[in-house]
Amino acid sequence: MSVLEVRDLRRSFGGIEAVAGVSFALEEAEILGVIGPNGSGKSTVFNLLTGVVAPSSGDIRLRGKSIAGRKPYRIARAGIGRTFQIPALFTNMTVQGNLYAAIVEGDWKHAPERAAQVLELMNLTPVRDELASSLSGGQQRLLEFGRVLMRDPDVILLDEVAAGVHPTLRATILGAVSELQSQGKSFVVIEHDMELVRAICQRVLVMDAGQVVAEGSFEQIASDKGVVEAYLGVPVE
Amino acid sequence: MSRALALVTSRGGRAASLALLLLVLVSFPGWGGDYWTRILTGVTMWAALALSWNVIGGYGGYISFGHVAFFGIGAYTTALLMKPGTGWNFFATLPVAGIVAAAVAVIVGWPVLKLRGAYFAIATWALAEAVAQIANGVGFTGGSSGMSLPINASTSFFYYAMLVACVLSFGVCYVLLERSRFGYRLKAVRDHEVAAGSFGINTTAVKLQAFALSAVIPGVLGGIFAYWITFINPASVLDGSLTDQMVVMALVGGLGRISGAAVGAAVLYLINQQFLASFGDTTSYIAVVGALVALIVLFRPDGLVSLFARGNQTRLVWQLLGRAIPRARPSAAQRPGKTKEHA
Repeated sequence: MSVLEVRDLRRSFGGIEAVAGVSFALEEAEILGVIGPNGSGKSTVFNLLTGVVAPSSGDIRLRGKSIAGRKPYRIARAGIGRTFQIPALFTNMTVQGNLYAAIVEGDWKHAPERAAQVLELMNLTPVRDELASSLSGGQQRLLEFGRVLMRDPDVILLDEVAAGVHPTLRATILGAVSELQSQGKSFVVIEHDMELVRAICQRVLVMDAGQVVAEGSFEQIASDKGVVEAYLGVPVE
Repeated sequence: MSRALALVTSRGGRAASLALLLLVLVSFPGWGGDYWTRILTGVTMWAALALSWNVIGGYGGYISFGHVAFFGIGAYTTALLMKPGTGWNFFATLPVAGIVAAAVAVIVGWPVLKLRGAYFAIATWALAEAVAQIANGVGFTGGSSGMSLPINASTSFFYYAMLVACVLSFGVCYVLLERSRFGYRLKAVRDHEVAAGSFGINTTAVKLQAFALSAVIPGVLGGIFAYWITFINPASVLDGSLTDQMVVMALVGGLGRISGAAVGAAVLYLINQQFLASFGDTTSYIAVVGALVALIVLFRPDGLVSLFARGNQTRLVWQLLGRAIPRARPSAAQRPGKTKEHA
């Protein structure tokens, strides 16, 4: 059974169908890449998966159980974690406070030990007592990823998690992703950086105008004329 | 000076200062005289009221302009329960006053806490106006003619009643907001509600709990206040300026900080009483408050308590005012050469 199964997911805003019948399945310990031009509906799919936006129709199943239209906190407790395209930090809390807040509905008893591990892993120990708002853009991305690690969800949705991150710290994030994958965690990764997609994703979905227009390995989709057309906006000769 | 400040702000220093403060407060009626005991009764009441506003405003990020409604509801609950024919014991009325205020907060909060910013502020202001109109219009509250309560002339009785309510309020809020999961939940919801939900936090429940907590305190204090002044009407316990005072005291003392409410209330109430004693009215006090608020927002957004606290400056004031938030200066730990990497 797939860890996450999405069936004919749709969502309209007024007259615009932002997500128009998206279906895919995510397997255990798989990293699935989602690429597509801006406005193709990638982040809306994340918002639908996490309950921030309710689907107009379609179904989302986590380990066989429908979670479509549930409240975000229920979906999070069911085992889905996410990062945001624009880091959504708790800006008036310290770095350490952000990590504690992330585990407040989880293993609270071991929060200090877990936070210390994550701070070390994300190279954030020297700034643990600083306000999250005072971090650089790259550090904010690290903190956001660190918060997801605190909760230890089964399915992790990463929305451009490495955008603007220093190459060394990017390697830290990718190393952590690989480590978690080896522990059986599954990922859906929205990314514009094709090198990163090629490096970590077993399978790639290409979205355009709210639909999945191609699916396959990175090599397969890289040679797909429809994909190139969707990205460049002109027919390929 | 800095060494003395470090000593006072250390953990042991804080505990010793707190114990000394409590000792002074408990023994005060014995040596402070009636006038200053009454002044201190006012300070303790306003400290707890400002704290109650700080729970939903500073910790929750919701600007309430209707908090006086809970104060008035508490006052009327106690007055109604103590009136001849009902004759409840004063102390027995206080939990009821707090519960009724909290119940109203939950009922009203369910729809109203879905609003944000100015919309929430307007909705809560409307709540206070509605409660005042109801108190004015219905018969059992005495309308604008008000209600009388039994007289108790003991200054120290009300001082200790206010002091106990104040200390309990601060103790409960400190534990809940600074030493428990609830505080993290509430601050997470304040800073980013969608992100808070993505970590499993039931944001609706947290906001309602915070609103109820922030209503219980003025509910109980309203009950004590009603018995203290022995006569209440909408003008005395449901006037919108009471909410304004809570907001300003929390803001001047320090938003989102437990001690902020106490400092703000002490400073502003003492200034208020000084103006009253010197000029016979408090008209010019309003101008002083206006100037003080402007100075705080511009130069000390974390309030007066930040003068004595080490650590980071938040930007809650800017956030609540909906203004563009100036980017924080990088700290020493983040300047080049201090961290392993700089993204």
